[in-house]
Amino acid sequence: MAKEFTQLSHAVRNLRRRPTRTAILVAAIGLLVSALVFALSFVRRVESSIRTASDRLGADLLVVPTGSRGAAEDVLLDNAVKTFYMDRSVVERVRAVKGVARVTSQTYLATLAGGCCDVPETIVAAFDQESDFVVAPWLPGKLGKKLEKGEAVVGSESAFNIRVGLTQVDGRLFGKTFRIVGVLEKTGTGLDTAIFVDEKNVDELLRSGTARSPPGSVSVVFAKVDAGEDPARVAGVIEDTIIEADAVARRDVGQTVLRAFGDVRRVFLVTFVLASVLAACLAWAVFSGVAHERIREIGLMRAIGAKESHVVKLFLLEVVLVGALGSLLGVLAGTGLSLVVVRGFDILKAASAGLGVADRLAIGALGLALGTGICVVGALSPIRSTRKTEPLVVLKGD
Amino acid sequence: MPRLVAEAVTKTFGADGTSVAAVQGASLAIDRGDFVAITGHSGSGKTTLLSMLGGLSRPSSGRVLFDGTDLYRFDGDALSEYRCLNVGFVFQFASLLSALTARENLLLPARFRPSPRGGAELEARALELLELVGLRDRADAYPFELSGGQQRRVAIARAFMNEPQLILADEPTGDLDEETEAEVMKLFRAMNEQRGTAFVLVTHDTGLARQAGRRAEMHRGVLREL
Repeated sequence: MAKEFTQLSHAVRNLRRRPTRTAILVAAIGLLVSALVFALSFVRRVESSIRTASDRLGADLLVVPTGSRGAAEDVLLDNAVKTFYMDRSVVERVRAVKGVARVTSQTYLATLAGGCCDVPETIVAAFDQESDFVVAPWLPGKLGKKLEKGEAVVGSESAFNIRVGLTQVDGRLFGKTFRIVGVLEKTGTGLDTAIFVDEKNVDELLRSGTARSPPGSVSVVFAKVDAGEDPARVAGVIEDTIIEADAVARRDVGQTVLRAFGDVRRVFLVTFVLASVLAACLAWAVFSGVAHERIREIGLMRAIGAKESHVVKLFLLEVVLVGALGSLLGVLAGTGLSLVVVRGFDILKAASAGLGVADRLAIGALGLALGTGICVVGALSPIRSTRKTEPLVVLKGD
Repeated sequence: MPRLVAEAVTKTFGADGTSVAAVQGASLAIDRGDFVAITGHSGSGKTTLLSMLGGLSRPSSGRVLFDGTDLYRFDGDALSEYRCLNVGFVFQFASLLSALTARENLLLPARFRPSPRGGAELEARALELLELVGLRDRADAYPFELSGGQQRRVAIARAFMNEPQLILADEPTGDLDEETEAEVMKLFRAMNEQRGTAFVLVTHDTGLARQAGRRAEMHRGVLREL
């Protein structure tokens, strides 16, 4: 049984006449769309990772020393090893602010890279177990007790770094041996690379002289606000009240990183626009050649009854097929690239939040629409020129 | 078939001063069942006259009336519809679409009809026409797989696909051997006699022309009915 002859099969047959030329255009559109999908996936993933990480910190507000907001975000979102301190009295002053429901604090100590026998350079976070609501949710119930002096729990990636397995091991921090008694679940935040000890250890570490932080200080205060309270308003009150502290509402955490990332997005955009112009020019050149090459065929079609619209539809179908096929391949390649290569980017190393199905579908649909659209726009002028072809050309012979 | 009338049509090419009149004041009326052969030397204007009758080329002066209406007052789409529904062309030169098989080349004009018929019916008709020109077994061959004569026969079959009332054939048997030429002429006569399809045949071959019911001759653009 012969296959049914349709306009679609006619268009496909035309495209297969010049497979190399068709493949080049498909590849060009595919490359353009894969770059777009990769860039969008990258940007979206960074944004969503920062958002997710800030959400997972469990606090509505962060209070850090004035001027240390960027450093705090680096530690909490990007696993950086940085220290900053403010007076411990800030904890109680934050607690006293109207609208604040709960507070807890952490003090960050940096281990030294290459120090003899110590674990690799990392942040040691001393936290108050009584008030804590940041670390505890990520500690599986198996610990079953409070941390004692000389005991530590580690983030999921630190556990890997210092080879903590299912058995308890000892690690040396600031020259002192700590028994690692637990591993946090993966949080996708800076907590993953930190080591946590009870704040009762801090005084002893400072006395030993190997850890350095001002006495009676904390690095960050985490706060939860009362139900229905606006964290941004409370943050404003804290900044007005406590001059030596910056307060950051959760929705604003990561804004420093995102603002810096805006430049990267603009580079992506400019690159995409330039590549789009190039792809459109290629589509124009290819379909100009096609229209010129098929002038007798178009004349013949017109002579045997085709209207202008029949010819235009046939060409448009070919253009859409090329654009859609290239875009589809580009979406697949870009998505694959974003999954495979993305781990090579430092900014995403801490990101546990992958893109959701909805995000990927939206990016894919955008890639398909833009890739196909750019191909159509490029080919529009040659397609329009086919309308001018007179049926008489068919009588003129070869 | 509504009457097709060429009224003193003239076609000139080129700019003023250097213009050449390919057809000069030709008049011809074609009714249902007519079989007209037009002979003449190369360059005498036969093909140009045919193109004006077929709605392919606007006359410089004069009118071509179809059912009393001037064809060239139609807009582009209406003229396409006229060609699609009423006229079957057999062109002098190779005129198959190279990307399509013989069967698909036949199906092509049917796709341009304002109300296309069902696929199965069209398929059957295409194969029936290929059978009539002796190429049923070559239905799925591409033009490059067919000889020049076979391509010509496919083009002839295609001209009948939309069951037109008028066939305009320009040297339709030029590439054919004597036996096939006789088969094609037999097919033309059968269509003419059984269905009343009108034919206008342009040919160098006076023997072929003698088989037509009416004969005309063109000389330097002037048409003279014999």
